[in-house]
Parts: sequence; structure tokens; C-alpha cells
Amino acid sequence: MKRYAVLISMFAFVIFLAACGGNEEDSSGESQEDKKETRTIKHEMGETEITGTPEKVVALEFSFVDNLASLGITPAGIADDEDPERIIDPVKEKIGDYTSVGTRKQPSLEVISSLQPDLIIADYERHQDIYDQLSEIAPTIVLPSLSADYAGIIDSFETVAKAVGKEQKGEEVLKEHKNRMEELRSQVPEDESRTVLPAVVADSGYFAHNFESYTGSLLESIGLENAIQSGDDRYNKINLEQIVEVDPDVMFHMVTGDKTVVDEWKENDLYGKVSAVKEDQVYEVDRNMWSRFRGLISSEKILEDAINHLYE
Amino acid sequence: MKNRSPFLIISVLAAGVLVAGILSAGVGAVYVSPAAIFSGEQSFLFMNFRVPRLIIALLVGAGLGISGAILQAVIRNPLASPDVIGITKGAGFAAASTIILFPGLPPQAVPVAAFLGAGIVTAGLYLFAFRQRVQPATLALVGIALGAIFQAGIQFLTVRYPVETNAALVWLTGSLWGKDWSDIWMLLPWIIIFSGIAMFLTGKMDILQLGDDVAEGLGESVKAARIVLLLVSVVLAGVSVAIVGTLGFVGLVAPHIARQLVGNKHIVLLPASALTGMILLLVADGLGRGLVPPTEIPAGIFTAVIGAPYFLYLLRKMQKT
Repeated sequence: MKRYAVLISMFAFVIFLAACGGNEEDSSGESQEDKKETRTIKHEMGETEITGTPEKVVALEFSFVDNLASLGITPAGIADDEDPERIIDPVKEKIGDYTSVGTRKQPSLEVISSLQPDLIIADYERHQDIYDQLSEIAPTIVLPSLSADYAGIIDSFETVAKAVGKEQKGEEVLKEHKNRMEELRSQVPEDESRTVLPAVVADSGYFAHNFESYTGSLLESIGLENAIQSGDDRYNKINLEQIVEVDPDVMFHMVTGDKTVVDEWKENDLYGKVSAVKEDQVYEVDRNMWSRFRGLISSEKILEDAINHLYE
Repeated sequence: MKNRSPFLIISVLAAGVLVAGILSAGVGAVYVSPAAIFSGEQSFLFMNFRVPRLIIALLVGAGLGISGAILQAVIRNPLASPDVIGITKGAGFAAASTIILFPGLPPQAVPVAAFLGAGIVTAGLYLFAFRQRVQPATLALVGIALGAIFQAGIQFLTVRYPVETNAALVWLTGSLWGKDWSDIWMLLPWIIIFSGIAMFLTGKMDILQLGDDVAEGLGESVKAARIVLLLVSVVLAGVSVAIVGTLGFVGLVAPHIARQLVGNKHIVLLPASALTGMILLLVADGLGRGLVPPTEIPAGIFTAVIGAPYFLYLLRKMQKT
């Protein structure tokens, strides 16, 4: 008898769910009248139609915050990992108050929804699973950020500019950015032959960014050759022997945490054999700016930083 | 074990699920008043984010709870659980490889891969443990060995692809974040059908627990019963893990708690395990959402945090009596 009772209650549960599901479809079928021009934005997960000029934008990666700041828009919500310090100063200056929507890894859908945004910009690697749900909240575009190189970052910026209806402003900003990049490039001597190695340095390891990574490709764009010119992977956890082997002339360390592997290596004679260490060309740089942000503003700042270290 | 009526305890557990469900529905980064739900003001938020997670918690809690209870009967070892015999590790490795190595695949590929991973482990179990006369201990050991291989695989991936691993981490901890109605429809038929099958096989589980000789003596084909039960258990754990990720501890702890409450008869032990699993997951997910909003803490962390100490307490209590 009891087993039938269980089966019957399961059956009742299914019916209850079916009823719930039905409700949900009704409520989401919103009818939006198009009063303004509609743009179709192509992105990693397909095409999204955006109407008018989005005013409340939610950015789920820092690079999109950078993009919006360059365009003069303050995001309504940012996945800032609950740590406002992660937003680098040059970007913070340009944006006003925003609401934190939680971590980039698992942004709170509830908070995003409660902000009633009219555009959501999400990262391809982190957020493709929740694309459907984000799309139910607001038009959503998904762009590469975590896995993008410098060229990809420029593409993303152009898409964001189009999505927020500021294509013209976007072109101006980009032109200015390219001029600034030329200026920075001209500060690097033609015969610069030193190789550089940007890396995230943590307790858990030494994560080298190769020539195709965002930071690596950015430095290459102004003529600073990356020490790692091969490999399928943009980010590589490497050990001390491998560093000795690629022998960079300059190292930029994005230090995270109080204690890192490099502290241990300092006691190892092998570390002293690396050219950068021998020549005292190891620089500590801000991880937020050098690796987390991946935008136009941060790109300029990274290069300024690098040039400062190398030539002044 | 106890003299209380199992029916009463099941009702109490069911009431517990109801209370945990209601509390969990009220918790989140955004405050939702009951009135606002019915007036339609916040019904979108409620129906799209809260309710789906709640239902997933119920389904996965039941799936893992029953799966663990079956395994403990099949292997006749209180340490048996989907984690121990390698099912979750296999699913985890398959899902992590899909996320990390083929980021271009549609999101639906991940649960499919996870389920296949669980299937591969089952095939391995069959190959190494069932070809001989099935000894429960062999099954557990083979499972542990297979699990270790896949665990090593997961670790290899995280070392080799540190950045891409970010995307897989949520899945690897086990989380109900971002689950929606489509996940429910994917999960529901499996859980219903295989829980139902499990309920019809409770007699076999009772017999298996008496030991192989007695079971054979009672005319039971021990090997066949083990294989069928193992398959049911793998499907339940496999689909659960495929949707929410490698959520640990529920499959181990829920049956134990249930056993303490209702004893060893599987006709009541299975529903009790399912209900306990539901409560565990509802509480874990509610805490994950409500503790430090808007930050989401994966439910997998809480199932370990709540589950493990309670498990230790139970062990102590069992030693004393």
C-alpha cells in the first residue's frame, strides 16, 4: 500500500510542477512595443535585438565596465566580486554609484533582475550557461572577455558601443585610444630586444601569460616581445626550471596574496640565474589592472606602467 | 531500531521538507514579501529564480538520497555512496573536460557528458568487479580506484588550464545557481521513474542485506539483483550530478540520518532518505543564497559543512549506544 501512496504523491507533484510551468510561460510573454529604432547585435550566443538607448546596463565582467566607462556610461550593476577595490582607479573615476550583483563566477540573478536592466553584458566562458535566464531578464549580449586577447578586447568594445547605441562615440573613443597606443609605441625604442614575461604570481603557482594572452598580446603590440612564443595555452602554470629555460629579460609580476611561490624561489640559486633577476628587472604590478580588467582604459594604463618601469 | 512508527517519522520528515522549502523560498539576495508574489509584482523573480532552485533541490536531494541508500544496501557497507564508488568523480571529469576543452559546445552538452562519465564508471565497475563473483568489498575498492583515476584527471585539467578552470569550478563544487525550468524538465522524468523502480525493488535490498548466502538460500539471484540495483542507483546519482555538479556528501549522509530515524527496512528507508536529502539540499541552497548576498555560495560547500559534522555526531552517538 505504502509504495502506491508514494507513487501517487509523485504523480501529484508532477501535476503541480506542470501547473507551475504553465504559469511561468504566461508571465514571461511580455509584449514590447517598438517605439525606437531596433538594432540587431551579433554576439557569441547568437543575435540579440536591442531597442532604443539602454540606460540601465549590467556588466558581468570588468572589461565591460571599462568599455562602458570609456563610453561615459555608469553601469547599474557590476559583478565586482563584492570587492569595490577591484575596480581600478582610472575606471572608478569615470563611473558613479552602482549595485554589486555578486561574484563574476556566480552573479546573483535575483539582484540583476531586481535592477530591471535594459541590457546585460556577459562573458562567454563564465556565463554561457545562464544566457537563457539572463535573456529572460533583459536583452543580453555575450562577449569573450576571460579568454580574449587584445584584438578581441577591441572587437568587444565595438560591439558594446553598438549595443548601447553609441557607435559614433565608440569610434571617437577608439580613435583616441589608437592614437594613444601609437604614442606609447613610439616610446619603445625600435631596437628593443629584451623579452618580457607577464605572470600572475600566487601561492598556488606561477601563471605565465604567453604572447597570445591579453597582457602578452598587448605588450607585443607596442614591440615588447613575450618570452613565451609557443604553446597552445595562453596561460600556463610553469615552474622555476621552465622560467630559467625561457629566460625572460623583464618580468612583470601580478602579485596576489601575501606569500607567493616567488618568495620561495628567492632562496633558490636557480632563480638568480634568470636574466630578469640578474639585471634587476622584476617589477610588481597591480593584478586588477594588469589582468582582471582587459579594457581600453586599463590597456593604456598597463602600457604606461610598463614603459615607466622599463625606461624611467 | 527505534520503536516509533516509521509512518509518523516519514510524516515528520515530510513536514520538515515543507518548512525548509518555505523558509528557503523566502531567502535570497532580494527580499520578496509573500504579498508581492501573489500580486504579481515579484512573481517573475520568484517563479524564475527561487521556485526552480527549490524544485531542483527536492529532485536532486531525493535522487542522491535514494541512490546512496541503494548503494549502502548493495555494497553492505555504511561508507558506500555515489562519491565513494566513483560515479560523481567520473561525471565530474567528463563535465570538466567538456567545459574546459570544448567551450564552444552548447551548455546542454555538459549534463550529457556528465551522465556519460557516470556511465563509463559503471561500465568500469561492471568490467572489474562483476566479471568475477561480485563481492561487495571488491565493488567498493574498484569504485575507489576508478574515482581516483578521474580525480587525477580533474586535477590535471585544473593545473593544465588554470584560466578555463574558472568556468568549470562552479560545476565542480556543485551548485544550484542558475538552474531553471528546462533543468527541471530534464531531471524530473528520470528521478520519478527510477525512484519508482527503486521502491519496487526494496524487497531485494532487504534480502541482500542479510548476506549473500542467506540471499541465495532464499532463492535470490544475488548477482542479478546487485546489477539491477547498481544501475538504478547510478542513474539517480548520475542525472542529479549531471544537473547540479559534483555535490558531495548528500548521498552518504542522507541515508545514514534516515537509517537512524526509521531503521533498516528499505520500504521506509528509501522515502526517508529521499526526504532527508531534500531537507539537506534546501537548507544548503538557502544558506548559500542568504548568508552573504549577493554573493552566492555553492550548495556543495554547505552540504559538506552541515553534513560532515552531523555525520560525525551520528557516528559518536552510534558508538555510545
